[in-house]
Amino acid sequence: MAKAFAPIVITANDLVEGDSVFLGPEGWTRDIRMARVARTAEEATALDASGAQGETQNLVVGPYRVEVSLETGAPVPVLRREQIRASGVPTIPVGPAAIEAAREAA
Amino acid sequence: MYRYDEFDHRFVQERVAEFRSQVTRRLDGSLNENEFKPLRLMNGLYLQLHAYMLRVAIPYGTLDSARMRMLAHIAEKWDRGYGHFTTRQNIQFNWPKLSDVPDILDALASVEMHAIQTSGNCIRNTTSDPYAGVAADEVEDPRITAELIRQWSSLHPEFTFLGRKFKIAVTGSAEDRTALKVHDIGIQIVRNTAGETGYRVLVGGGLGRTPMIAKELRAFLPREDLLPYLEAALRVYNLHGRRDNKYKARIKILVHEIGIEEYARQVEAEFAALDRDAIAAPVEEVARIAAYFAPPKLAARPAESTAFERARQVDPGFAAWASQNTFPHRVPGYVAATISLKPIGGAPGDATAEQMRAMADLAEKYSRDELRVTHEQNVVLPHVALDDLHSVYRGLAGVGLDAPNKGLVTDIVACPGLDYCALATARSIPVAQNIARRFGSTARQKEIGPLSIKISGCINACGHHHVGHIGILGLDKAGVESYQITLGGDATETAALGDRTGPGFGYDEVADVIEKLVDRYIELREVPQETFLQTYRRVGMEPFKEAIYATH
Repeated sequence: MAKAFAPIVITANDLVEGDSVFLGPEGWTRDIRMARVARTAEEATALDASGAQGETQNLVVGPYRVEVSLETGAPVPVLRREQIRASGVPTIPVGPAAIEAAREAA
Repeated sequence: MYRYDEFDHRFVQERVAEFRSQVTRRLDGSLNENEFKPLRLMNGLYLQLHAYMLRVAIPYGTLDSARMRMLAHIAEKWDRGYGHFTTRQNIQFNWPKLSDVPDILDALASVEMHAIQTSGNCIRNTTSDPYAGVAADEVEDPRITAELIRQWSSLHPEFTFLGRKFKIAVTGSAEDRTALKVHDIGIQIVRNTAGETGYRVLVGGGLGRTPMIAKELRAFLPREDLLPYLEAALRVYNLHGRRDNKYKARIKILVHEIGIEEYARQVEAEFAALDRDAIAAPVEEVARIAAYFAPPKLAARPAESTAFERARQVDPGFAAWASQNTFPHRVPGYVAATISLKPIGGAPGDATAEQMRAMADLAEKYSRDELRVTHEQNVVLPHVALDDLHSVYRGLAGVGLDAPNKGLVTDIVACPGLDYCALATARSIPVAQNIARRFGSTARQKEIGPLSIKISGCINACGHHHVGHIGILGLDKAGVESYQITLGGDATETAALGDRTGPGFGYDEVADVIEKLVDRYIELREVPQETFLQTYRRVGMEPFKEAIYATH
């Protein structure tokens, strides 16, 4: 039996800022919850084309598919890597905030 | 300190202007990403998980206060207020915008810095001993040789597109503080039986997915032959260069496959055929470079300092820091002081703009305006008078850089891992933080003694896990982070690759596992002075395996 199609969204990096963006209904968004979700292979192919367009239009770099879970309603990446990437920041306080956190811990 | 000549200034400025034009063309669509990517990489600009990342070269880790202040300025103006010092003695900025990078490069050029050859398949930043010019066992300051190599390797037309990246380290001491044996080429300055100074050349070391310890290529290379010999060694490698499989393209694979004898034979043949005079650095040029690294004129001081002794007695924090974070200076009355960038719970190697400025101020006031970045992601103030050490300590304490943990269990080397890196398969920084918190007590760290933990977030091994006394390698197992442990690695002159303990552990288990290993070591050691590494070499893997897998 063919494996069921796992839902996907399209992600890329913003050309100027370099941060993670997701293909939404009206262009690229930084909020994965706003991303368009492909639930079938055909829908995914159509999203691929839109993602590639973002690259040719010089908006984003390196679009690719990210498998998502829809258990909570909104798309959540399946892989840890993509969860971290979608969050837009490291999983720990960084920079001056990290120093502050370390001071408080001490 | 190195200095740019007229050519260097003009070249770097031209390169910035060229990159500015390339960025403009990328932003207006004249260049697509496939065309632009090799250009940005040649200027140290990566695209990571959350943002662009700019890696800036710090030649052999040496910088002065003006350069450190410029790094602080860049962190504040164009990044998020901090930078990350790396195991290649460089610094990375994690959040620059593409449109700002030309301005950042302009700012760097104003203090004779750049990001050229910090990426790509070329000769990368040549690293060296952070105690260069300080260590008593030094044959000669290795930075003179490192600077010669920097000049020779910068934009070398034949070696700009090698099969893979190429890393060279230079030490002037028998005690290796440069991880010499895990470099593509390691150069040790030595004296032969006739008393002449020259080089012992090692080749084919490296970490990554196929770790190897370097082999000796030449026991003694006359000083004047250095650059021609390197040219021959690189040429043989480049001619063999496998461009079909990047995992087999490093020189370590070549040396391993054809054997050190055959590689050496080919290098010697190439070397014999070279026009050595055309490649060797002129004597006067070497003398000019050597003058840049003339030892600072340190005023003679008594070997004992009353002010230092008094401060040690009244300030226990200072006493702990001074005993752990200082290194003997060849000039009596002075020490090299290590600023640990590993505060408990901090990100290894990170420093905020405020901290960079504080380090710059202290270097200017107390260390002849010099700082050194170490391959263990710390910073050294190389020339501090004992009389001034307490003032340095208080200055560091004011900005949270007073951790007394150099070389101890919390002085953890860690790559950026999955919190930043697009290649990573698991997080490194939070793992380091969890371990550091577990062993946060200064007394406990002291009791454990010298112990190097190194963490990589993928098999590329940027965190040097293979040569940690305890190495931790983060992998992805079906979408879940899993950490393999290695024991017995060593980055020094007695270099060794760590042995894998067995199956990996989950993210939440790692700190417990490290604690079990440490507890078992404490039980096993014969005397408190026997280090973790010595104990491991004496008893082997089994007792440690038993400690971590018995109830697993």
